[in-house]
Amino acid sequence: MSVSYVPVQWNPNKWKYDAVLIALVVVYIIVFLRLGTPAADFTRPVDGAILRIRAFGSCAFLMLTVILAIGPLARLDKRFAPILYNRRHFGVMTTAVAFTHAMYVLGWYFAYAPIPRLEALLVSNTSFGQFLGFPIEALGIAALLILSVLAATSHDFWLSFLSAPVWKSLHLMIYPAYVFVVAHVALGYFQDAKSPVFALIFTGGALTVAGLHLASWFKERRFSPSTEKWVKACKPSEIPDKRAVIVTISQQERVAIFRTGNSFSAVSNTCAHQGGPLGEGKIVYGHVTCPWHGFSYKARNGCSPAPFTEKIPTYNMSLENGVLFIDPKANQPGTDVEPIIVEGVVHG
Amino acid sequence: MAKEKDPFFVGWGKIPKDYKVFLISLTASIIAVFAILSYAISSTQSDPGDGALMGLTTAVGILQADPYPVLHVISSGRYQPGETIILSGGGKRGVVKRAAGFDGQVVRAAGVTMQRGDLNGMQLRSGKNGLRGDDTGADAFTVRVENLGRWRLTGEICDGKCLNGAMRPGRGLAHKACANLCLLGGVPPVFVSSAPVEGSEFLLMADANGKAVTEEILKFTATYVEIEGEVERRGELLIFKISPETIRLAQ
Repeated sequence: MSVSYVPVQWNPNKWKYDAVLIALVVVYIIVFLRLGTPAADFTRPVDGAILRIRAFGSCAFLMLTVILAIGPLARLDKRFAPILYNRRHFGVMTTAVAFTHAMYVLGWYFAYAPIPRLEALLVSNTSFGQFLGFPIEALGIAALLILSVLAATSHDFWLSFLSAPVWKSLHLMIYPAYVFVVAHVALGYFQDAKSPVFALIFTGGALTVAGLHLASWFKERRFSPSTEKWVKACKPSEIPDKRAVIVTISQQERVAIFRTGNSFSAVSNTCAHQGGPLGEGKIVYGHVTCPWHGFSYKARNGCSPAPFTEKIPTYNMSLENGVLFIDPKANQPGTDVEPIIVEGVVHG
Repeated sequence: MAKEKDPFFVGWGKIPKDYKVFLISLTASIIAVFAILSYAISSTQSDPGDGALMGLTTAVGILQADPYPVLHVISSGRYQPGETIILSGGGKRGVVKRAAGFDGQVVRAAGVTMQRGDLNGMQLRSGKNGLRGDDTGADAFTVRVENLGRWRLTGEICDGKCLNGAMRPGRGLAHKACANLCLLGGVPPVFVSSAPVEGSEFLLMADANGKAVTEEILKFTATYVEIEGEVERRGELLIFKISPETIRLAQ
């Protein structure tokens, strides 16, 4: 969290995260070029530029696959949350790797032509009406453009400038980008590779992303929405101390009921920062803390502690016959609501 | 070390001990998996074949301009008399214009040789250093022409320069745009037959009249296609005079 915009709010965890990312790329490229390729069964060596195209291209695909797996993994197992914490850096690094791939393509396949490279890139294959032979470069360009926009707007300035919902919608474009990448590979190198190894890795990666999202969606789906005026939530004892229970009150809206000792408060499940699932967070230093990036709010009024200014909606609750109920009508962000105090509640 | 009862990760805080073990294992696993995948992908890349650039050479021979410039060798330090060489220019350019004035004449060609199997190619040096009339009195001969009849062939349309070793690999769908650029630049198109025709899998393409093919073939490059046409042997090279309306994607 910050009250001013700095290029990167570095902390030790981010340094470590980025160091791992760089190591990941360096190891991948070195193994590809120096260990794997010499072991391949070639009559004559593949061109160095084409090897680099393949190395950076496949690395970018795998990185993007991991990025898309992080979200659902963090929902399914909270221990993956630290990987999600700095996911934006992962995205920026992936864009850089994909851009390197594109520059090698442009400098190799489209150089030495009678027309300028960019023009050559656009006019050399216009068979948009056919499946095999479809201009895979167009798919790659589309993916790279999206990744570049996402990388350029990954900073909190853009998050604030665009507002969280718009920013979040924009960054969901990562999914079309992945589809473009999958099509780019499926209609290009995938068709040329004679070994089943690449096919297995490629389809395995894409299916893993799809499978994890389905599993995550299925987990979410278990919280069925209620149509009643006051929504029955749970018994106070079912909420672990300093944790929350998430209650679905409509198709789009979820409420997190947090417990601090014998005090219970309900806030929106959506973090004002990037829409992170607050209900999967914890009370840290007396504040609701988002599991994604550590944004904090007071449970009773949804306000971030001074000097921060973020606010989230709160909800009214009642206790009837030992069960907590939520008024599904959200209060204005920052509205103070007296917590429900339940004496003698045992730890859940 | 006692385990924390309810560990929780906050980016700006210390990493809980329970998470540390998991994260160190996860980090090592991801890097190891990336290394394994990198090795698996790179070590199983397809063989680009034996096409390669073979260094500079000169050859004296009879130049034939249609459908694309080729040289029927009379004498050369590298080629045997009677061998046929497909000619191309620097980059993604052919030499149609340069060769037009020498059709049927004895010329001296110099440049970088390329070879893939029995397919010979040469990237000519620029200007007269690459192609000029020969006045050394080399003995010209009549190029043997033999009609081999009508064939229906399956295979791939490639550009004759990258295929020949200017790029490795110089064929396939990942190379399609490059092949199209080469063909647009005048590089001779070569059909790679899935089964040898009269002993050769490489055929220089021409239209039904023996002239250069039209841009209609560009949408079929790099894919597996079926084409009908007349096959003719000229010197050591097969010419495939295609009927463009018969081109279709093969199953």
